[in-house]
Amino acid sequence: MVEFNAKKVAELHQHLHSHLPSEPALRVKALETLLVEKGLINTESIDAWVEAYTEDIGPKRGAHIVAKAWCDKEFRQRLVLDGSSAIDELGYLGNATGHLKVIENTASVHNLVVCTLCSCYPFSILGIAPAWYKAAAYRSRAVRDPRGVLAEFGVQISDDVEVRIWDSTAELRYMVLPQRPNDSEALSEHELAALVTRNSMIGTDRDLVKIDKVKV
Amino acid sequence: MDGIHDLGGKQGYGAIDVDEADLYERGEAFNHDWEARQWGISSCARTPNINIDWWRHCRELITPIDYLGRPYFDSWVQTDFATFIDGGFFTLDEVCLGYSALDSLHLDELPPKPITKADALQADRQNAYRFDAEINQLPLFSIGDLVITNQHGHSGHTRLPQYARNRIGKIHALNGAHVFPDLSAQGTESHQHLYSVVFETGELWSDSTNIHDKVFLDLWETYLSINDLPKNEP
Repeated sequence: MVEFNAKKVAELHQHLHSHLPSEPALRVKALETLLVEKGLINTESIDAWVEAYTEDIGPKRGAHIVAKAWCDKEFRQRLVLDGSSAIDELGYLGNATGHLKVIENTASVHNLVVCTLCSCYPFSILGIAPAWYKAAAYRSRAVRDPRGVLAEFGVQISDDVEVRIWDSTAELRYMVLPQRPNDSEALSEHELAALVTRNSMIGTDRDLVKIDKVKV
Repeated sequence: MDGIHDLGGKQGYGAIDVDEADLYERGEAFNHDWEARQWGISSCARTPNINIDWWRHCRELITPIDYLGRPYFDSWVQTDFATFIDGGFFTLDEVCLGYSALDSLHLDELPPKPITKADALQADRQNAYRFDAEINQLPLFSIGDLVITNQHGHSGHTRLPQYARNRIGKIHALNGAHVFPDLSAQGTESHQHLYSVVFETGELWSDSTNIHDKVFLDLWETYLSINDLPKNEP
C-alpha cells in the first residue's frame, strides 16, 4: 500500500543514488528484471507498448488533426470548443488528452506550450515528447525568454505579435493549431498533413513550408 | 515543495538542443532503447493505489544532483524503483543485488497476460483519464476578475510554480472542478475549481522584453485570492 510518506521516499532516493547501476540502460534493465521476476509485468507487453508508440501513436495523429481542422470548418469549431471530444471522432483520444485544449495561432498571436514543473505532454496525439521539451533549458526559459527560445528554433516573431506561453502544470493539455500555409489551397488533407511539423504543434515552429517544398 | 523540479524562470541552463534529430522523420520514437523499455514499463505497471500526484511528488524528491544530471526517462526509472520499494513490491536489498530474493517471489500468483500492440492501442484509448467532477461549491471567481496568487508554497506537492507566486493575474477561463493535487499527493482526493489565469510577462519578470507577451497557468482556487489592492501600473 502507498503510504504517502515523503520523508521515506526522499531517503530511498538517497540510497538509490548510491546503489543503482551506473548507466541508465543498466538501471532500466534492473527494473525490468525485478518486475518480471515478481510477476508484475512481462516483456511482451513492454514490447507491445513500444510498438504502439513507435508505429501508431505519434505526431502524425496531431498533423492529421491540424490538416482536418484546416479543411473542415465545422471540425475546427468543435476542436477549439472541446478538443478531447473532437479528437475522439478520429480515434485519437487517449493518454493525457482527457482534457485537451487546442489553441489557434493567428497573424497576431503565437502560442508556445511548456510544462515547467515536470514535462506534461499530450501523448495520445503527439507521442513521445522530444528530449529538449523535457530538458531544463527549455522548461526554465520558455516562460521567461520565449522570444529567445523561439529564435534558437529559427523562429523570428515580430514585436507586434503577441506570444502566449501555456505552462501546462495541471491536467489540461495543450496543442497549438498552426496557421495554414499560404498557397496551399490546392492541397488535399493528406498532403497538408505532411506539412505539419511536430514542433509547430508545440509552438517552437511557426511558418510551415509552402507548396513548392512539399515532397510528393 | 520548493524543489529542483520547479524550473520556470531559472537561469543558467544554457541553449536548447534544437538540432536533436526528429526521430519521427525516421519512423522512430525513442532516442535510446532503454527509453523505449522504460516507456513500456511505465505503461504496463504502476504500484497499485498510486496516483499521478503522489508519483510526481516522488519524482520531485529525487536528489537534485540526480534530477538535473540524468536524462528525463531515467528519472522515471528511479521514481519507479522508489515507489515499488515504498509500496512493498521489492526491497532495497533486492535492488542492490539486481535480482529477487527467492522467498519473496509470489509464484502462486499468475503473472499478467501478455498483451499485443492492438491491446496497447485499446488501453491507450482508455487512458484518457478525466480529473473533473461536479461539486456543490460555486466558483469564487469569474472571467475577468483580478486575482493574486499565494505568496508561499508548502513542503508537499503543489502546482503553483515559484515564479508565479504573489503575482497578479486575470481569470481567463473556468475549467470546472479538478482533483486538487496538493491533497491528492497526500492520499486524499478532493476537487476544487480550476482556473486558467493569464499573467502579463511584465508582472512576472523584471527583464521581460515585450509588453504583448502573456503566460497562462491553470491554477486551483485555493492558490488564488481576489486582488483588492490597487495594481501598480507601470
